[in-house]
Amino acid sequence: MSEGVGLNLERLLTDALRPVDPPADLVGRVETRLSSIAEQAAAELSSWADELSEGELEALRDPRNWVRPVAAVAVGGAAAGALVVVGMRRRGRPGSLRERAERLLRELGPPQG
Amino acid sequence: MSEEIEEGAAAEALAEVPRATKAELDLAFEELYRTHLRDVYSYSYYRVGNHHDAEDLTEQAFLQAYRHFERARRESHGRPLRPWLIRIAHNLAANHHRDKARRPTAALDAVEPPVHPHGTERVAEGRAELRAVIERLDDLSEDRREALIMRFALGMSNREIARALGRTDGATKVLIHRAIKQLEELLADE
Repeated sequence: MSEGVGLNLERLLTDALRPVDPPADLVGRVETRLSSIAEQAAAELSSWADELSEGELEALRDPRNWVRPVAAVAVGGAAAGALVVVGMRRRGRPGSLRERAERLLRELGPPQG
Repeated sequence: MSEEIEEGAAAEALAEVPRATKAELDLAFEELYRTHLRDVYSYSYYRVGNHHDAEDLTEQAFLQAYRHFERARRESHGRPLRPWLIRIAHNLAANHHRDKARRPTAALDAVEPPVHPHGTERVAEGRAELRAVIERLDDLSEDRREALIMRFALGMSNREIARALGRTDGATKVLIHRAIKQLEELLADE
């Protein structure tokens, strides 16, 4: 196999495997999907917080019971952050997921040993 | 060599910088997203062979990337993050193919026209030799095919490909050399 053939094949590969431009609506689709995830997490956190009784609030002072809210905050936080990244720039909006989560944790107060 | 010096300097600079704030991370991710959207999309497209699945894979890749961005940035020591992004897309594509293989054939699938894994719409309008190259790519092993996609569709260096595939630079050089050689032989047999 001559070197010329090798160079020709590399040229053919460069032609055959040209970069593909993503569809123009891809960014919009990503935004929609991230938005949906963020809203879902926000709804989960909100409804869960609304349903808490006094006893449950008391129980939440135990860090062992933090798995669910922390998971919701983590999922929502990542998605909400990504929303900013793709240009939606919703940070700072009153009642955002992060603010609600932070407010909720403030209301619950520090854990008691 | 210059890349090593550049990476070394970047690593030193990063070590002196305190942990990034959320806003800084978001800005950095936005830059990453804008710079490499086409890379991730092209890679996904050549792996799955159609725009619909390539879009899904690209979305998922950037979602995962965002979730692990801070750690990846910290552990990259200033090196480019494209190989890491492509590795995420690579894992997602592997999962996609595995799920597809497991899925029982549905009646609807049976009536769909077969989609060539790399059979792009644009190739149909191209020259016969380009089509032959694309078709013979299918006969290569997955790692050889992937290495060629990274090299020729994304223009990645040996070092970047090595990082994306989790191999050494030397092993990657051999992999690409063998992939091209095998492709030449396959085309010569036609």
